[in-house]
Amino acid sequence: MTAMLDDATSTTRASRAGTARPSTPADTRLSPLEAAIARSRGWCQEWWARIHGPTPWLVAVPDIGPTCEVLLADALFHDLSDEEREGMLAWVRAEQHEDGGWRNLDGELDLSLTCLGYWARIQGGEDPQTPALVRALRLIHELGGARKANLTVRLWLALADTVPWSWIPAVPAELYLLPEFLPLSPARLSPWARQMVNAFHLMAESKARIHLYPARELLLLRDGELIPPRLTSPGLAGDMLQAFDQSIKLTRALPRGVVHRRSLNQAMIWLEGSQQRHGGWFSARPTLYSLLALRVAGAHSNDPRLVRGLAYLRRARGQVEAGGAVHLAQGLSDRPLAKVARLGRVVNLEQDDHETGEALRTRVLAAELAHAGPWQRRADAPVGGWPNEERGHRHLDLRATCSVLATLRSEPARTPAVRASLRRAAEVLLAMQERDGSFARFERGESDVPLSRLPWRDADQLNLGAPRDSGKVVLTAMVIRELASLGWRREDDRVARGLDWLFNAFEHEAHGWSVSTLAGVVRAFAAQLPPTDERRAAAEQALRKRQWEDGSFGDELSTARALITLLELQPRGVPCVQCERAARQLVGRVGLLARERASVPGASFSAPLPGYGLSPRLRDPGAGVRDLHLALVRFAERTRKPKSKPTEPANRDATLRD
Amino acid sequence: MPRSATDPAPASAPSSETDFAARYDVIIVGAGVAGCALAQALAQADVEGRRSILVLDLHREVSPRFSGEFIHPRGATVLDALGFMPALLEAGAVEVDGFVVREHADTDEPVRLDYASVPNERARGVSVHHKRLVRCMRQLAAENPQVSLRTPWRVTDVLTQPAKARNARDARIWGVVAKGPGGRVVELRADLVVAADGKASSVRKFAGIPDARRNLGFTAGLEVADAAQSNPLHANVYLGGPGPMLCYPIIREADGTLVSRLTFDLPKDLPAKGRELAPYLLETFVPHLPERLAGQVAAALEAQAALGPVEMAPTFDLPAPPATAPGLALVGDAAGCSHPITASGMTMGLLDAHYLALEASRRASVAADEAWLDDRALRNFRVEHERYVPTRQALADAIFEAFRGEDNGARGIRRALFHYWRSGERQRVRSLALLSCAERRPHVFLSEYLKTARHVVGSNMTPRHAEHFPVRDRLRQVHGAVGLAGTKVGLVASVAWSQLRPTWLTA
Repeated sequence: MTAMLDDATSTTRASRAGTARPSTPADTRLSPLEAAIARSRGWCQEWWARIHGPTPWLVAVPDIGPTCEVLLADALFHDLSDEEREGMLAWVRAEQHEDGGWRNLDGELDLSLTCLGYWARIQGGEDPQTPALVRALRLIHELGGARKANLTVRLWLALADTVPWSWIPAVPAELYLLPEFLPLSPARLSPWARQMVNAFHLMAESKARIHLYPARELLLLRDGELIPPRLTSPGLAGDMLQAFDQSIKLTRALPRGVVHRRSLNQAMIWLEGSQQRHGGWFSARPTLYSLLALRVAGAHSNDPRLVRGLAYLRRARGQVEAGGAVHLAQGLSDRPLAKVARLGRVVNLEQDDHETGEALRTRVLAAELAHAGPWQRRADAPVGGWPNEERGHRHLDLRATCSVLATLRSEPARTPAVRASLRRAAEVLLAMQERDGSFARFERGESDVPLSRLPWRDADQLNLGAPRDSGKVVLTAMVIRELASLGWRREDDRVARGLDWLFNAFEHEAHGWSVSTLAGVVRAFAAQLPPTDERRAAAEQALRKRQWEDGSFGDELSTARALITLLELQPRGVPCVQCERAARQLVGRVGLLARERASVPGASFSAPLPGYGLSPRLRDPGAGVRDLHLALVRFAERTRKPKSKPTEPANRDATLRD
Repeated sequence: MPRSATDPAPASAPSSETDFAARYDVIIVGAGVAGCALAQALAQADVEGRRSILVLDLHREVSPRFSGEFIHPRGATVLDALGFMPALLEAGAVEVDGFVVREHADTDEPVRLDYASVPNERARGVSVHHKRLVRCMRQLAAENPQVSLRTPWRVTDVLTQPAKARNARDARIWGVVAKGPGGRVVELRADLVVAADGKASSVRKFAGIPDARRNLGFTAGLEVADAAQSNPLHANVYLGGPGPMLCYPIIREADGTLVSRLTFDLPKDLPAKGRELAPYLLETFVPHLPERLAGQVAAALEAQAALGPVEMAPTFDLPAPPATAPGLALVGDAAGCSHPITASGMTMGLLDAHYLALEASRRASVAADEAWLDDRALRNFRVEHERYVPTRQALADAIFEAFRGEDNGARGIRRALFHYWRSGERQRVRSLALLSCAERRPHVFLSEYLKTARHVVGSNMTPRHAEHFPVRDRLRQVHGAVGLAGTKVGLVASVAWSQLRPTWLTA
């Protein structure tokens, strides 16, 4: 270790020169830890360059659903270039599995994605008799056909005039006339669902049609007739709701006069008022559907709203890697601010490049919300915090806010603008607490929408996540940690309630949590609770037990996050043995990856993230290198000792060199 | 108490710093603000110059820990009457105009509470750096021929009769045992021992008076030159952060620089200590100050970090113990203290000195062989003391709880307070009169409590930003605030009773 530290200066010089791999004569004297840090730094810098290139890479990769939908919608918009279309189709093809189906991000076969993938490929001009498509169709039929697919597939089938619009759940138009504070008002839906339902509603009311390949083969027939889907869940309540749905649809045939007209006008006002300055609606899929609704409502192709919306969708596309090749995919949003902030922070971690740090700070400060938004309907806070995307201006994202706060805190300079942003962010964080003690990501009440309690088959889509899913746990843990950094301690009842909620979730759900989720919770406890606290001790033990014999905690990302957490649990002194074993494993893994994946550095790391709605999970291919680098740098800082006091155990260096 | 024939006669002034008389009329333990003010007041009450007063203090100079610096007009009146004020102003003391309270750093309209608007009171208070204040007061008090100031002497016990009694009610205190330089131990006798040695009073402990102190947290203090505040001559309270901050002027330097003290309220379990405290404050508290002041404070904290840790002192809540016992009186913080957010601690000490000296002046003409402040005089003092201390403590506790805002109820009360203060000038005047110890009529206290409670509903049902704030959340806020206000009913009743209680009921 001492030798390693002696060479620290040369390492820094090498990194400043942009050297990604230790190849200079000076680098040959680096210890394994330093070499791993140099490599991971190089990978981080490469990812930073990737997400800022002319065709940026996606750092939040969804399943193929949005890409397929964009390909289908191009039948109406005619916006994609040949290159884009081919790039996206190539990715859809690359993602298809041998059995013919497509998987979601949890690795499970997904009927809806398979339907969309099949359809998009045929719409793109492929022969349905291609073996891969034949296999896909067979799989779809085995799984029950498109009738059993989700709302998205049924919507596209309705748009293609393959199935009647009655296959889509009805939204009584009159709901749009309700005051926004009432539970049944569409304003009460989660922000993602609100935009989606609004667009669905307008399309369904006008019985929209698009000239698409009809894809009738996706459906199973009984006696030559389509088998209609059941829109509600089984049981008496479901039957009654189904009857209600039918009655709503029947009443649509009746003249409803001024009330109906006003309701539709209101829905259109909502739609138009929700477009953000960057052209998009809440995210890519609501944007796509809103553009369809506008087009159906009569907007011509040169309409500025459409032009801006399509430009937003284009910006949300990016490169992805699949099967060793680089393709194009439709992301769910423009460049995510949280990713930019976190990666930027790590890239600048060890460098004295104040200019870069200043540029990053200016950039994130410019992205702060400055206008009132729908999130303030139910959260009593002034305007502040950060959106999910750099150019978003309506929707707060608490996850992005926490990431930006951590980045701002890592910068030593405190300007008035930074202080004001911190002050506003603190109020926003506190105001976004739900009644149960957890925190909402976009809007309060987003995971417990009253309409979702009705026995609709797609009711869960009206919420954003479940009240206790791991995304909510991670977010709550992040917020509690940030509140500790902002000075709010467990003496405050809001923090105390958040801690109680987290511990309650830990007690009941921790067995199913990933290491990353558990590490996030432990970090929150470490930030707020003293080492003697029983809750902290229990969570810490649960994390420590997850370490494997080789020192890892699973994949590299989990190990990196666990290492960061273990170092935070013991902020002073020599890191514990478990830290050393994890660090040693990471160092070895970095070396192995550098040899294995020299051509695509860092691409093998991936982080699961909560997504939105029908693409509930995202994948962050840059997260691994980012957190790995952060973990190794923090470990190195902790093991670095003053040269005048060589009191560390002599075998520590040897341990890491093994 | 009649002096026994065997007691030595009043001694003349001892010849050197280490010599003591065989007996004193009064021994004051603690040469802080309350102790010095009492020494001066007693010396002035002894118009014939027949009495001897000994003041002992642990520190040769001034206690190194930063302490109270802000004095309300009523306390300033006492300082004026005792003749300290000209010297203090010459030493850099600043006359202050009242309080300015900001709910949030971004709030454009802070609440101003001006002393000048309180009728029949001095128009300004005074604020001065604690060390300068004490140094100046010690010097002036020691100039009185009756007063002997001895430092550094630590009181290690009290002399009681009977000797083994350790309960203040059972024994009469007739002196103290003190340990001085070189380990010299002396027994000092007096008709009256006054404990003016602060909230951690050792005399109170030796006298067997239970110590019911409760640690509330810590206060960190920082000096800022020419602090950029819209009301530089007010004590500015800044809320909205993790804890309240108080900024008030403490020194006007000869070159015109106005130095202010900024205090940060920290929780009991300190999140950062030593050198880590400055960066912590920078990260957590400073963003909640107005922009220009925040910049100055950030620079001051960075400068302080290079010099050493930020000054810090613990804050306590000490429910007022009985202020007297046979042969013993407690004054200042030793007789009860609360969180310094209302800055009334020193005013209380000065009022104690004033009322005790008032009793002394009433008995100025008694024979020299009789106790100057006998049991009856002490009882009169205690009756008076117990009329203003509970009001002050109740207010300080309530305001601290509301300003710290650690639970929904406290935040609701805070909103109600601002709502109430913004509703009219009269409301602000009455609140300030109570805060600055200028008003202690029970019906005023009661009506202020009820009016604030009434504002709880209005202020908490109306959100500041949320368009459709859920009704359940609004009701939860109201419920919390009403619940907290309900817990104070007993306190209000006890305060009212302390004002109305007949003298003969005081033990």
